[in-house]
Amino acid sequence: MVFIPPFVPETFITMYMPAIYAGLIVGFIATMAIAMKREEIHILILTDLVGLAMIFVVSAVGTDLAEALILPGLVVELAETLAISEILITREMRKIEQDPRANLTKSSSMFPQAFSLDMEIMTTAPNFIALVLIGYGIFLTGFTGGAVAGGGIVLHAISKKARGLPVLLLDGIAGVSGIAWCLWIIGFLLFFVAPQYWVLSLFLAACGLLLKVASKVGLIGLLMREDIDKE
Amino acid sequence: MRIGVLWNKLADPKNIPRLFAFSLGIILIIGFIVPMALNPDQIYVRPDPQEQIDEGLALAPYDRGGEPLKEAGFINPQYPENAASLGMITGYMSPLAEWISSISPYFGTSIYSSPGGLVDEILYYTRGFDTILESSILMMSFIIASWLSINYTMNRKNDADEIKKDMKKAVNDSVHVAREVKANDAKARSKQLRRDN
Amino acid sequence: MDFVTLGGNLLGTIPLGDIVLYVNPFNLFLFAVLLGFTALIAVSKPETQVEAAKFNTLDNAQVKVDEKEFRQRRFLSVICGIASAGAMITGDLFNFTLFMALVGILNIGIVSAVKQTSVLNSAFNYGLIAMMCSLPLFGGASIILASTGTLSLAVLSQMHASPMVVFGAILMLIGILGESGVAPFFASKAEMFRTPGSPFIVIIHLSSLFIIVRAVEILLLVLW
Repeated sequence: MVFIPPFVPETFITMYMPAIYAGLIVGFIATMAIAMKREEIHILILTDLVGLAMIFVVSAVGTDLAEALILPGLVVELAETLAISEILITREMRKIEQDPRANLTKSSSMFPQAFSLDMEIMTTAPNFIALVLIGYGIFLTGFTGGAVAGGGIVLHAISKKARGLPVLLLDGIAGVSGIAWCLWIIGFLLFFVAPQYWVLSLFLAACGLLLKVASKVGLIGLLMREDIDKE
Repeated sequence: MRIGVLWNKLADPKNIPRLFAFSLGIILIIGFIVPMALNPDQIYVRPDPQEQIDEGLALAPYDRGGEPLKEAGFINPQYPENAASLGMITGYMSPLAEWISSISPYFGTSIYSSPGGLVDEILYYTRGFDTILESSILMMSFIIASWLSINYTMNRKNDADEIKKDMKKAVNDSVHVAREVKANDAKARSKQLRRDN
Repeated sequence: MDFVTLGGNLLGTIPLGDIVLYVNPFNLFLFAVLLGFTALIAVSKPETQVEAAKFNTLDNAQVKVDEKEFRQRRFLSVICGIASAGAMITGDLFNFTLFMALVGILNIGIVSAVKQTSVLNSAFNYGLIAMMCSLPLFGGASIILASTGTLSLAVLSQMHASPMVVFGAILMLIGILGESGVAPFFASKAEMFRTPGSPFIVIIHLSSLFIIVRAVEILLLVLW
């Protein structure tokens, strides 16, 4: 049985050209679309397509390393979209604040619309499903687990229609994320300082990442709840 | 076009992303005339796509050998000498993961999702610094976004509702004015009619 | 080109698995300067800008940074300083691009809380460029990986550059140009400075300056 071959198998070498050309073509289409569009919100959405081209190009290499490198690329893209769309909303709100009468209708479509979720499923099942999701996420640990557990928190949050949310709670969640980050850094350093404790380091890193991602996805859910409650 | 006009266009922030996208697209097209080929001498090489599945391994595409806590798995990083317990994570599986892999032949497809295994070794150990930076990027953008939303965009004190209320008032006022104008109009017309008759 | 020809004798390495940070006099100097500047920022207070007010009033408006905004901005600036200092000594191509993305997002974050819409506008436009830069930066690095089979700068500097490596380096170069806001993509980044809070604003400028110096060194190592 061969676990790792000394050289890259023939399949990956023949697949490289089609894969990277597909990446280049997707990138070209996306960048040209951005160059031709005028609306800022469209450009913001189209930049995600550029990120897709990046994933093509990285994954074309087809080694285990390439697989590990996709994750940072994806996360960077996601994180930047989040921060930049928030800046776009801020800018539009500042504009309205300075001149309340000007272009209110034109730009206000960009804001999250308050909407009511009066579905039956929202009152019966959510607690159970949220619990299952969080439990499964804790079993998975790591990045995937964080996303699943965070999804559970989001579900719980959007299904509960309790009014108002103290900012203190949000601060608390941000704090959990900071602690998780420290856990992880300790785990990472321990790998090199004391290699014999690698199991401990592995679990520190995996649980740190779980807490971090879950708290962040949960934070999105809680912010969303603020909007839904607003009506 | 004079060069000055061109520079003036470049000074508008709104045009810059589109200009950047355009030049990036041109460079991507140049890629088609560059001879490209994958170098077969790579680090972290993986076996042929279907090879492990055909052999019926439980951790199908990610089985790199090793025995949990006893024997290291196989992995070929750039600097093996910098990682003292290299391959141990690759060979490791948590007891729960081991149990699942014993009853299901498809555990390999979700090997990402339990501590241990090949991808964790790369993400946490040999290239752990990359993942630290990546999660710092995530954390920073969350700090930026949540700070803005808590202190400004979702701050209820200077809410858009206020503006909306003002707008509604203004609309009501203008409707009121329009109605008055209309009434005056009708009055004047009837007066005119009466005078004409 | 070798480390020694470019930056002086190798003083030492910090091995963290595959990512080996290395220190030679040139990189050490850049690293120390950035850390010193970051320390200065951590203890300083922001300046207040006096702006000529509207036409119908006579008094000038003071544009101030309030307490909460000041604390957030200081935190982000210190992290930005540390991140750019880290980029000075990293010895891995992909690691460097990640440092660059981190500095980019922090630059946006530092000005994200201001009230001037023109500054927010340019920050948003710069953010769009920073997002697009993930394709040339990570894509360029992975094309170099595909061609040479390594990401370590120490190994890359010993290799001969093929046309494919040159293409990867060109992609990385345009990513660096966009991310650090050099001509002809300067406008969106230059406009971001026009806001009060001087020592924190200057780190935006300084970090992109230092990163571009370091990027030139890395491209020379890869290409020569």
